[in-house]
Amino acid sequence: MSPFELAEPRTLREAAALLDTDDSTVRAIAGGTALMLMMKTGVFKPARLVSLRAVEAHHAHIHKDAEGMLRIGALATLSSLGRSADVKAAAPVLVQTLKTLSNVRVRNVATVGGALAHGDPHMDLPPVMMALDASVVVVSPTGTRTLPVAELYTGYYETALARNELIAEVCLPTRTGWRATYVKLTTRSADDWPTLGITVALKLESGVVADARLVASAATATPVRLMAAEASIRGQVLEDKVLARCGEAASGEAELIDDAHGSAAYKQTLLRVHMARALRAVMTADIK
Amino acid sequence: MSSTRTINFALNGDPVTAQIGTHQHLVEVLQAQGLTGARESCAQGLCGCCTVLVNEVAVSGCLYLAAFADGADVRTIEYAPEGKLDAVQEAFIECGAFQCGYCTPGFILMTRQLLDAHPDPSEDDIRHYLSGNLCRCAAYAEIVEAAKLAARMRNSSLPR
Amino acid sequence: MNVTASSVGQSPPRLEARAKVTGRAEYVHTLRVPNMLHAKVLRATVAHGRIRTIDVTAARAMPGVFAVYTGEDIRKLIAEPYYGPAFHDQPILALDKVRHVGEPVAVVLAADVHVAESAAQSIVAEYDELPAVYDEIEAMTSSAVVHEVLKPAGTFADLKYLKDKRGTNIALDFHLRRGDVSKAFAEADHVFEHTFRTQQVLHLPLEPFACVAEPGDTTLVLHSSTQSPSFVRSEIARLFGWSDNRVRVKVPYLGGGFGAKVYVKSEALAAACAMLARRPVKYALTMEEQFYMITKHATTLRIKSGVSKDGKILARECEVWWNGGAYADIGPRVTQKSGFTAAGPYDIDNVHIDSYALYTNLPPAGALRGFGIPQLVWAYESHTDMIARELKIDPLAIRRKNLLREGRPQATGTPMRDAALDLVLERLAVRMQWEKRFDHGGGTIKRGRGLAIGFKASISPTTSMAIVNLAADGSCSLYSSTVDMGQGSDTAMAQMVSEVMGIPLEKITVVHPDTDVTPYDMATLGSRSTYHMGHAVKNAAEDARDKLFTLAREVSLSAETTPIPDIFRKKYGMLAGNIVGVGSFIPPYTPPDANGQTENATPFWMIGATGAEVEVDTETGEFKVTRLVNLVDVGKSINPAIVETQISGATVMQLGFTLSEQMNFDAGQVTNASLADYKIPGIRDIPVMENEAVDANQKSGPFGAKGVGESGTFGVSPAIANAIDDAVGVRLTSLPLTAEAVYRGLRNKAGNPLKND
Repeated sequence: MSPFELAEPRTLREAAALLDTDDSTVRAIAGGTALMLMMKTGVFKPARLVSLRAVEAHHAHIHKDAEGMLRIGALATLSSLGRSADVKAAAPVLVQTLKTLSNVRVRNVATVGGALAHGDPHMDLPPVMMALDASVVVVSPTGTRTLPVAELYTGYYETALARNELIAEVCLPTRTGWRATYVKLTTRSADDWPTLGITVALKLESGVVADARLVASAATATPVRLMAAEASIRGQVLEDKVLARCGEAASGEAELIDDAHGSAAYKQTLLRVHMARALRAVMTADIK
Repeated sequence: MSSTRTINFALNGDPVTAQIGTHQHLVEVLQAQGLTGARESCAQGLCGCCTVLVNEVAVSGCLYLAAFADGADVRTIEYAPEGKLDAVQEAFIECGAFQCGYCTPGFILMTRQLLDAHPDPSEDDIRHYLSGNLCRCAAYAEIVEAAKLAARMRNSSLPR
Repeated sequence: MNVTASSVGQSPPRLEARAKVTGRAEYVHTLRVPNMLHAKVLRATVAHGRIRTIDVTAARAMPGVFAVYTGEDIRKLIAEPYYGPAFHDQPILALDKVRHVGEPVAVVLAADVHVAESAAQSIVAEYDELPAVYDEIEAMTSSAVVHEVLKPAGTFADLKYLKDKRGTNIALDFHLRRGDVSKAFAEADHVFEHTFRTQQVLHLPLEPFACVAEPGDTTLVLHSSTQSPSFVRSEIARLFGWSDNRVRVKVPYLGGGFGAKVYVKSEALAAACAMLARRPVKYALTMEEQFYMITKHATTLRIKSGVSKDGKILARECEVWWNGGAYADIGPRVTQKSGFTAAGPYDIDNVHIDSYALYTNLPPAGALRGFGIPQLVWAYESHTDMIARELKIDPLAIRRKNLLREGRPQATGTPMRDAALDLVLERLAVRMQWEKRFDHGGGTIKRGRGLAIGFKASISPTTSMAIVNLAADGSCSLYSSTVDMGQGSDTAMAQMVSEVMGIPLEKITVVHPDTDVTPYDMATLGSRSTYHMGHAVKNAAEDARDKLFTLAREVSLSAETTPIPDIFRKKYGMLAGNIVGVGSFIPPYTPPDANGQTENATPFWMIGATGAEVEVDTETGEFKVTRLVNLVDVGKSINPAIVETQISGATVMQLGFTLSEQMNFDAGQVTNASLADYKIPGIRDIPVMENEAVDANQKSGPFGAKGVGESGTFGVSPAIANAIDDAVGVRLTSLPLTAEAVYRGLRNKAGNPLKND
């Protein structure tokens, strides 16, 4: 690594202003766990890093607002997310996901905002946030805007965030009657990056699927909602043949990638089988 | 704005002032202070050899910019206020939970954190908590036993 | 003198336990010396190419850079800057051409490691690319030739015939002939032939390679993370044209070795840089760089057996192709030594073995925990089960029927002695409850079990020396060049001294390898130390004890009843003087003849067997190893607790090589050179394991002991593959064993192969 300037703005807006440049070697750093990897391997050689540490105190909150919306400051660490009673109550799937998300030391410093803004399709948090209908509040030098997480990812390592935009907050709506699970499939060692991620969120009313969010990740260029698979179960009772049909639909619509974790064809199989199993697990509340 | 700066931090309880480059990570700065218990190995936060406590929270020292330690309380495996081994260290010796010893400081620091968070950990708790540490000699079975033994030792020595 | 609690057969904690749990144990990778420069290298980006230009201008101009050197600069210091244990084929920095991606091409020295790294990245090397060869079978006939001429080192007499051979990638061919294979095949009821493959993997010690070289006026001190200090000393001295005593190699603890850190690795470049710069130089690799230093051979193994209808193996033919990468390292010895046992631990009258060490344009391959044996056991024990399955014979029964029994000649003609093959197999059967009905599961989860047994000849003939220095106060120091890289040798050797001298372990220290201080040892490898150094240590301790007895007699005291200090006090009038015991050991060995036959191939046999139980998901092929039972013959254990950790550690390492580890390449470029993408086993990957060292005795060994470091690796891979076959009838013949491969096997069996999109 080579020396660089380290700026330490006091507010997010100030930080966004410092990022308002065409120079791609200027980037924001919060926990830095992902960025440091890129810097250490020489993939990224920064001229200037804009540290968000000094703004952390104002953007590390996790609380429910008056409307029942769970608001998570972008600089909240993943560990604090996992410990939060509000998170546990509102979205236990997040706590489940965090258990196998990287490791304790990374979770201790990595931030929620960083995990969403990085755009690496192998990450665990984006698909889950997507399935939870989360949105992000984004700050730029000139204002703020709100964006559904579902619209955040535009391509492999590409996001809808402009260079001068920073995630300030993640908002999770309260959704009654929903249950969810995240299935992280690894094909080599247990702590490997996922070969395939499957997130299932269901709203069940008297055994019937009133609504669903099904998301595939890791084997895809971005986390992707599986609309045909969702449609195949909406209004249905989750009997075996419905589960099988949903697995087929998911496997049919997702565009999966060949890589060192497995062939696309094999990942289609994993998606088909494990989608059905995940649905069953959510239905029977058998979530580990 | 300069690419070098002076940081002040507490190192194992003692105040330290260090001249650092912005690009330097915490392990480099600790080694310059003569402490070699935190070691860079995988350089990716996966093996845990570089584990350091910053403000009582375990971090991967080789992925942690030294600049961010300014003003912090930094503790390493060398921290031993009473000059003797703690329950976790005793348990690691008792269970033979290491071979080459390179990863051992990281495992010990993480096991302490584990027992702080889960004083009576299940096997599953132990394996999940320590999954961010690698031991190429693979003394894993012994490490799990050591974590259990250390928990028992700590629980039995609690003030009544 | 009496037996103490810390003597042989007990399990005291390691001598260095406290240093390791407090983070104070020293390793070269974290060593700093005053005035030190860091060396960082530019590595080749093509697999095979003639060097056209190396532009170091930008690097030299970078502030903080002390020097930049290329191969030509090294050549000014050392006329023939090539090293290697079997062949002098490896240049310190590439000369004329590069032979694998990642080969060091130029080096930058700077006081700041980051400056050295940036400057190295700024060097521009251009190549005229040459055709490359990657596959070991293609290398047999490829027109792409990695080395224009073979350059055997002369260290090993039986390689000399290869000198000056041109136009071939075959670095060594080993042949073993016993009986008449063709006749036996013709007479056999059944002939089975299968081909197996193993992938390229690597050691990845958590302490990467590191060497700090400190030049003196006429000498050079090397602090190195090496398993072979004596070899490094002579090889570096040879390069400089010096006498050995001008090079001093010092070794603290090693953060793992596993065979990676044998012979010369980081030392040659560090030494050359230090001599050119006249400053101390540290050359410490990153984890990523380890992928280019040394690896384990990928192999193709063809095995053919003639078998009677009741399952007796009558003849076996083996062909093994070892993918040695761009430099021979110790690959030719792997090819030969493992060739001895390629036919397996079975009593077969007719054996035909051809084993080839091949050069390719991949990172070099050398010794890795088992020295070729795990690849062979993978093939012959998969093959054994495939035969059993065809003939509908129980896998245990077919092994019992064919196992080499005590006294029977093995394929080299060497009779089996103190080789508890049968006991290991029987204990495994008992622990696996093999004779009981096994629950094969149901629904989408099928269960299976498998077993496998392998053996290994020790490296021979090799020498160890030791010194035991008894101080007047009754404390004692052991001087040995055995390197403790985690295997616990310091403790085991001290226990032997304790046992002989009757001195408690707390009063014994082990002086770490320092070639100016500790005597010669061939190296710490091949599970040889307990046996070879153990003998030398025992001899040295006995020599010291005898001298103490003599001294006591001289001053008319009884050594049995007099405290040691009193003996010295009476002799020297005060607590003064010391007693130096010396010991050496070299076992007998007869080199094999042209047919690979010898009466004495090895001083001892290592034996390891594994039983595995698995659960396979029939809908996805995903499987879980639910239980591993590991049995070994280590003779008598010096320290049973450390022995058990060595067994399970070896097993888990091989489990990684079986299930998750694989170097991936694109045109010779490693595409997964990091622990994020090359997956070694973690704490959540470990199945339930049981380990047992059977009740055996190596009569020729010190205190009945022999080596243990590798035996746990032998049976792991085939036991798991055999268990998968038992569960779902899918036979995998390539490592690693993946869920996808199992799934594809299931689909093939169903007549509905999985198509790629």
